[in-house]
Amino acid sequence: MSTPAILIEDLHKEFIVSHSGAGSLKTALLWWKRRRLETLKVLNGLSFQVGQGECVALIGKNGAGKSTLLSLIARVYRPTSGRITVNGRTAPLLELGAGFHPDLTGLENILFNAMILGLSRKDALARTGEIVDFAELGGQIDAPVRTFSSGMLARLGFAIAVNVDADILIVDEVLAVGDFEFEEKCYRKIEEFRSVGHTILFVSHQMESVMRVADRCLLLEHGQVSMEGAPSDVIARYHESG
Amino acid sequence: MRENLRELWRYRELLFAMVEREIRIRYKNSVLGFFWSLINPLVTMLVLWLVFKFFLRNSTENFTPNVLAAYLPFMFVQLAVLDSSQSVLVSLQVVKKVYFPREILPLAGVIANFVHYLLALVVFFLYMFVVWASTGFQDSPFTWRIAFLPILLIVTVSLTTGLALIVSALNVFYEDVKYAISILLYLLFFLTPVMYFSENVYYSIKNAGLPPVLYDIYHLNPLATLATTYKKVLVPPGPVDAGGGLGLVQPLPMNWGLFGVTFLVSVGLLAGGYALFNRLKWRFVERP
Repeated sequence: MSTPAILIEDLHKEFIVSHSGAGSLKTALLWWKRRRLETLKVLNGLSFQVGQGECVALIGKNGAGKSTLLSLIARVYRPTSGRITVNGRTAPLLELGAGFHPDLTGLENILFNAMILGLSRKDALARTGEIVDFAELGGQIDAPVRTFSSGMLARLGFAIAVNVDADILIVDEVLAVGDFEFEEKCYRKIEEFRSVGHTILFVSHQMESVMRVADRCLLLEHGQVSMEGAPSDVIARYHESG
Repeated sequence: MRENLRELWRYRELLFAMVEREIRIRYKNSVLGFFWSLINPLVTMLVLWLVFKFFLRNSTENFTPNVLAAYLPFMFVQLAVLDSSQSVLVSLQVVKKVYFPREILPLAGVIANFVHYLLALVVFFLYMFVVWASTGFQDSPFTWRIAFLPILLIVTVSLTTGLALIVSALNVFYEDVKYAISILLYLLFFLTPVMYFSENVYYSIKNAGLPPVLYDIYHLNPLATLATTYKKVLVPPGPVDAGGGLGLVQPLPMNWGLFGVTFLVSVGLLAGGYALFNRLKWRFVERP
């Protein structure tokens, strides 16, 4: 068996939540007003793997831990315990337009975002042409990003993520923003991404898209994988439990 | 620590792109653009001359360049620390969505301000040169001590970076840290010999019959020692107006002991600040 693209072993993640918002030195010093902190267990001993070139969908109710799991794989969070092994470079698409600076132009943001996603300056510059073409923004690309509509931001964000030569694409429910035509284009790009042997892990609430692109589906419940298998079976079970 | 530094090195191009972005954004919507960094020291020089030489009639030799030599690095420390104090917090939305070494955020703030300081330093040297030229090139204002400037810059940058790392990390969890630090820096400005001289402190303590060790305690503030060292390195020594009826006094020699202490404090702050930042950086996204 070849090495998996993503290997998750007994993953736990806890968050500390406060009921009174962000802290200040003042509240830290006033001990009689100390904030009440609670621990929230989001992932409880989760294990699974994604093979090279596989396209896996994660489904589950709100609060099941889907987004937390993707953020952990994208190295935004550090696990409380357990292990995550990722073989290859990831391009996380956790939110469209994250990391865009409103005052910089589309082009400047492309360069910058591609570098955040791990490209060198030279490679990022070489990619801008493709990204601009894919996003179909035309002359608007030279305008500051603050003048973009949310659909345009979505297109630009997706165009960057799929064009940075990552081995693994991690997508958190962001494809439902563009118009029909662009959505189709995204699916085609995802197909293309898979056909060259790249791996995709994505979260979706749209069961049609899960049926359409996923090879395998995982159902998350209370921070654990409660079922995995063919998309049609897992979706049926998900609808039953709901 | 080694692991973190290697990771930072791998993302060095992102750091430079971030510095470029900081500089670009600052001048994006302004008419004068980059010239702002040159105008600031020029106008400061003019006001300093007006206030101290014309209104207050301070008779210290080379007063304006002396003050400016210390004022520019102080402003660099202040702006760099204040800019970077907010750096992680304002980018929290990005930090929550993408991985990259988080220390890049405060470091970019420090480096961008350092670039501005270097530009201001060029203006400073031009001013010195013009003054020298206007006297028909008598008594060169540039002494061998200028060779010491690079070491002085390194100490200043490591002090600033250490502070920036500590403040930016703490400010994520306690949002009033930046207010505390801006008040502290404002007060430190008056407790640092920028507008006056270490000689003033020395003779005031001596005149009041206080123990001389107070002079050393005063200079434990690393900014105080740095300010005086900048003056002594960048401007040729001359008599100082000690005020209070003392008249002009001879300048004190360079105090290498105090500079050594400042050097150690700065390096310590850099190492400690980096360690603290790395301990806290994984908790930024999870702040309660």
